[in-house]
Amino acid sequence: MISTFIRHELKAFWRSKNTGKSIAVRIVMIFLILYLFGCILLAGIGMDKILEIAFPNDDLVKSFCGIVLIYFLFDLFMRLQLQELPTLRVQPYLHLPIKRNTLVGYLAITAVFSMFNLWPFLLFLPFIFKIIAPDSGIIVALAFVVAIIGISVFNNYLALYLKRKSNLNGWIFLITAAVLILIVIADFWWHFYSLHNISYAFFGRLLTMPILAIIPALLGIVMYYFNFLYLKQNLYLETLTARKVKIYKSNTDIPFLSRFGTIGDLAANEIKLVFRNKRSRSSLIIGLFFMFYGLIFYTNKSLGQGWYLFAGMYMTGAFVVNYGQFMFGWQASHFDGILVSKITFSDFVKAKYLLFTTVSVISFVLTIPYVYFGWHVLLVHFVMCVWNIGVTTTIVLFFANRNFKRIDLSKSGTMNWEGVGASQLLLTLPLILTPYIIYTPFAVFKHPDIGLALLAATGFIAILTRNYWIKQLEADYYSKRYRIAEGFRNK
Amino acid sequence: MIEIKNLKKTYSNVTVVDIPHLAIAKGESVGLVGNNGAGKTTLFRMILDLILPESGEITSNGEVVAGHEHWKTYTASYLDEGFLIEYLTPEEYLYFIGGLHQQSRAQVDETLTALGDFFNGEILNRGKYIRDLSKGNQCKVGVASCLLQNPQLLMLDEPFANIDPSTQFRLKNMLKDANKSKGVTTIVSSHDLNHITDVCDRILLMEKGVIIKDIATSSSTLSELEDYFGVGQTVGATPVVKIDEEENH
Repeated sequence: MISTFIRHELKAFWRSKNTGKSIAVRIVMIFLILYLFGCILLAGIGMDKILEIAFPNDDLVKSFCGIVLIYFLFDLFMRLQLQELPTLRVQPYLHLPIKRNTLVGYLAITAVFSMFNLWPFLLFLPFIFKIIAPDSGIIVALAFVVAIIGISVFNNYLALYLKRKSNLNGWIFLITAAVLILIVIADFWWHFYSLHNISYAFFGRLLTMPILAIIPALLGIVMYYFNFLYLKQNLYLETLTARKVKIYKSNTDIPFLSRFGTIGDLAANEIKLVFRNKRSRSSLIIGLFFMFYGLIFYTNKSLGQGWYLFAGMYMTGAFVVNYGQFMFGWQASHFDGILVSKITFSDFVKAKYLLFTTVSVISFVLTIPYVYFGWHVLLVHFVMCVWNIGVTTTIVLFFANRNFKRIDLSKSGTMNWEGVGASQLLLTLPLILTPYIIYTPFAVFKHPDIGLALLAATGFIAILTRNYWIKQLEADYYSKRYRIAEGFRNK
Repeated sequence: MIEIKNLKKTYSNVTVVDIPHLAIAKGESVGLVGNNGAGKTTLFRMILDLILPESGEITSNGEVVAGHEHWKTYTASYLDEGFLIEYLTPEEYLYFIGGLHQQSRAQVDETLTALGDFFNGEILNRGKYIRDLSKGNQCKVGVASCLLQNPQLLMLDEPFANIDPSTQFRLKNMLKDANKSKGVTTIVSSHDLNHITDVCDRILLMEKGVIIKDIATSSSTLSELEDYFGVGQTVGATPVVKIDEEENH
């Protein structure tokens, strides 16, 4: 039975739309994952060096023992945020004559196959075999490995249990997060105790008494069994699905936009789209993170104004690029409705311009504190904001006409490759390069300000001639609308 | 109202719609029946310019549909949940649709009050997004948005499939009322032969993309259709009423 499950699971993986329809996406994905693992592995291999720098006064093994527990606290927090529940996969089997124990066992076991369970090994195994094994012998090293496996399993099932619980009651997540944060604050701010010492108290003993590794191993087994029992008692759709608790959804008005008539209504709808769906929300949050780009670029004196352009463009336009690259896929699920209703394409596009302009201006206002690094920085931001509103938006919308991939709004954004295709990969190039095509020649001949002025002028001209570009986009759209609609209908 | 000439649509060499000529006059109520895969939804989509036919053309009020938008001002339709904006509340959605037709909120509210019975208290002020409604309730929102637009042409694809019996009867009355007293041209598809013969004056029976029967509804129409669908069953035996879900394209 289990082997049938596994076969189904593999089919589900290879046949899912997410697993990349195009080879290019798949290759990029594999590279990214390998890169990520490579980074962690490098950190693992260089752990002794890192520890030496971080705790120069301590013994190497001692500082290693000190951080393990802290890592696992962090690990638990990450899991709570990111780890996916193995959920609906058993739904098609629930009504069939299959033993509950088989199903539950399968659910519980497959939960181990998570990327999160690889991390601690990549991170800690190199150190254990490089430093601890030669020092204290192979038995101690094995004890460490067992302990790490035990805590990983414990964390894995604890996180899943808490996640399942918090699906039923949203407070659980908040309380857990608060407790975790309190544990950390109590150490680093209030100094009630030292996690470092607690961690060393256990792992340090492991050096002399390897048998102690049995404690984390037992903890892991108990947690697994606990999870198994919980699942068995709650093998019902409501507890399994990742559906959040229902709260009353109220109607919202955005008064600022209502003055723009139909265009304003469309833009307001899109703002609701962004806020009311997981994946679009995360693209907005990523946009907010880009706001900190300036701290990287402006504190580094070796980076010249050329880099400022890049930072300015991303800070004022991160949302335009991040959200815009999947357009109109966000609206795929109701695209037919848009096509048959009384909305002209020019209104449709004008609403997008309105949305982008609003967000870019807000982003620009948010970047004003960077004036601390000189008024010139602010000037660059302003120029790039104008550039984004004028040029970037049009490029994004041009590519939106070439995007035939739907996006399932209900799925979360982390490691979600749905909707990613050639048009997204192609999009970033012209977006980043075009401002430099104008700017670089002047910068090379020591007149960067002329380049900047020219960028601003281009942006303004693009804004003033917007109606012309809308006409062009419209003509382009009419030649592709059936393909777009058909692509969006393909679930 | 609608005229179709030499309409043809094929998917990978299989003809899904093939209609040499079809005219639907203003004020007619047309019912579309046929088994799964007969081409009903495809025909609807072509009339709504959602997919392009291989050949032939459709005119609405004498003007070509494909690539034009004039028909949108007087045509209201609901084919599936894909017509609804799922992350809005029903109120937000209906105000939005009303706004597209230059209706104020008060006007929309007025129409919605009249639909109170139809909604049966399950749609408005429930604090749910459309995506959290059941399929039947989503259908109610779709039908309401159609009526809100005061259309001259109303197209519904299997409106009876997911709604409860009470709502089915209310919907039938609403469709009859719209057609008889307001002169709205209605095109409705359904697998429920009782309902469709009750509501429509003219029945089109489709099979493999071809309209094989075009009959004006009379007292014998229902049994005629039952004979066709009840393949291999003796006439007079229990009527076979097909209520199955439309295939997903």
